[in-house]
Amino acid sequence: MKKVDMSINLGGLQLKNPVMPASGTFDLFEDNNLPYDTKVLGAVMTKSIFLKKRLGNPLPLICESTSGLINALGTPGEGVEYLIKNKLPIFRKANQTVIVSIGGDGVKEYKLLAERLDKVEGIAALELDLSCSNNVDNIIIARDEFLTEQTVAQVKEVSTKPIIAKLSANVTDITKIARAAQRGGVDILSLINTVSAMAIDIKTKKAVLGNKVGGLSGPAIKPIALKMVWDVAHTVDLPIIGIGGISNSEDAIEFLLAGASAVEVGTAALINPLVMLEIIQGIEKYLGQQGYSSLEEIIGLA
Amino acid sequence: MKGAKLIQVYAKVLNQTEIITNHFILRIFSPEIVKKAIPGQFIMLSAWKQKDPLLRRPFTFNRLFPKEGSFEILYKKVGKGTEIMSYLKAGDQVSLLGPLGNGIKFPQNTKKIAIVCRGIGVAPMLAIIDKAKEKGIDIYAYISAATKDLLLVKKEIKQKAKSLYITTDDASLGTSGKVTDFLEKTLKDTKIDAVYTCGSKRLKRHIERLKELYGLNAWVILEEHMACGFGACKGCACKAKKDNNHKGKYFLVCKDGPVFPIDEVEV
Repeated sequence: MKKVDMSINLGGLQLKNPVMPASGTFDLFEDNNLPYDTKVLGAVMTKSIFLKKRLGNPLPLICESTSGLINALGTPGEGVEYLIKNKLPIFRKANQTVIVSIGGDGVKEYKLLAERLDKVEGIAALELDLSCSNNVDNIIIARDEFLTEQTVAQVKEVSTKPIIAKLSANVTDITKIARAAQRGGVDILSLINTVSAMAIDIKTKKAVLGNKVGGLSGPAIKPIALKMVWDVAHTVDLPIIGIGGISNSEDAIEFLLAGASAVEVGTAALINPLVMLEIIQGIEKYLGQQGYSSLEEIIGLA
Repeated sequence: MKGAKLIQVYAKVLNQTEIITNHFILRIFSPEIVKKAIPGQFIMLSAWKQKDPLLRRPFTFNRLFPKEGSFEILYKKVGKGTEIMSYLKAGDQVSLLGPLGNGIKFPQNTKKIAIVCRGIGVAPMLAIIDKAKEKGIDIYAYISAATKDLLLVKKEIKQKAKSLYITTDDASLGTSGKVTDFLEKTLKDTKIDAVYTCGSKRLKRHIERLKELYGLNAWVILEEHMACGFGACKGCACKAKKDNNHKGKYFLVCKDGPVFPIDEVEV
């Protein structure tokens, strides 16, 4: 079988293959002990970072539901300066393509973060977490066309890096938000973030999570995510990173066929740390068996 | 262990026993994992290939058998995952990820240790006891439970401990008092070099008080729901103690623990 070209260019972000971790489900440490070489990934992705340290939500933070995981972490983190000093060097060592995910309490914080990170070497792109569904004190930007456009435009003003806007599924029409991001000048769209969800303990008669509500991820949301990627791919002419319950190469290929040019893998990698490696190999094998010579050929075929 | 790569592996079940209603000891053959395992560490286990249940489940090592290449976990059937596990029999396959977390380390020149636990909190203790025996360390055991049947693996502990103190809430065995009162009595005339506790907030609190009075080295082994077990999901956070310079800090039970100095964490 001849070698398949797995590389992809996403609006200025060049990847050697289309598979990367989803923000918030992946971390690297000084004593990195993952059972594979992270250099094989298309990119590595940090947890969403804010300007300042955040503690996150009250415990418990996670619970399992049918074929899914509900989390209400509340984006805990040490703040951007800690990331730059302590995390970035580890991520840079782990992969040549590092994407930093940024959060923000309002448009201004995104801009300040983008400005700060633009001066930092070794960051390939920024993903704007516009849609985190469990920050009670945040406005969810990706629910509003105007705010989405404004946030992207303000970030683009100060950043020279490719900008990814991560969209929320918790909207009436995701294509309208995608268009708004496009008007703001975004380079890449990623979708979807977790779906608003909750669980109740019938013994205590109370919400399971400390924050009461959270975001659902995992196989349970895959068909929802796939449809939204398909919708956006048919509406907006921008590269898309598909996210949502991707657990194996078949799932990933579905997203590519729906119109995604790359995929992020989250919950599945918490259960099987090797899954991204298996997905890369699986896509390559599928393309070869189907007689394609490059990944690009199957994007949006469905 | 710093830098040690995680092992993800399929392993065979050697046997499973229901020791009392809904409480099981599962023995698994996995030389790769046992070779690296330290008492107090844990594994993430999955006994299902479908997506429901979805996540692996964390289990501490009940006993380690490095020569045989196997280990045991002790668990209580509480939900979907452990229900599936309860049907496992010899020859069945499970998927393991581990060994995870930090494990215990005896302080230098340790001569005597105490283990203090309640109910299913006994789960990591036999592995610690075996390790101590191997090093010629004396074991003082203090175990409590709601009723005498729930004094799990009591016989094994009795065989290995220099002294064993028991309390049960219904006084079906031993007295119904606080098991830490016995520990306090011991401390009055015996130097205990390290105390390990698991399974009860109340016991943890009492040991913290004893630590202040007697200057103990004491550790708590925490259990928590986890999605990954290796520090990625951040779901197993626990609060660091405010009065220990950790104001507003969280630890991850999987990565920073599950063994913590007793006064570092709030439970």
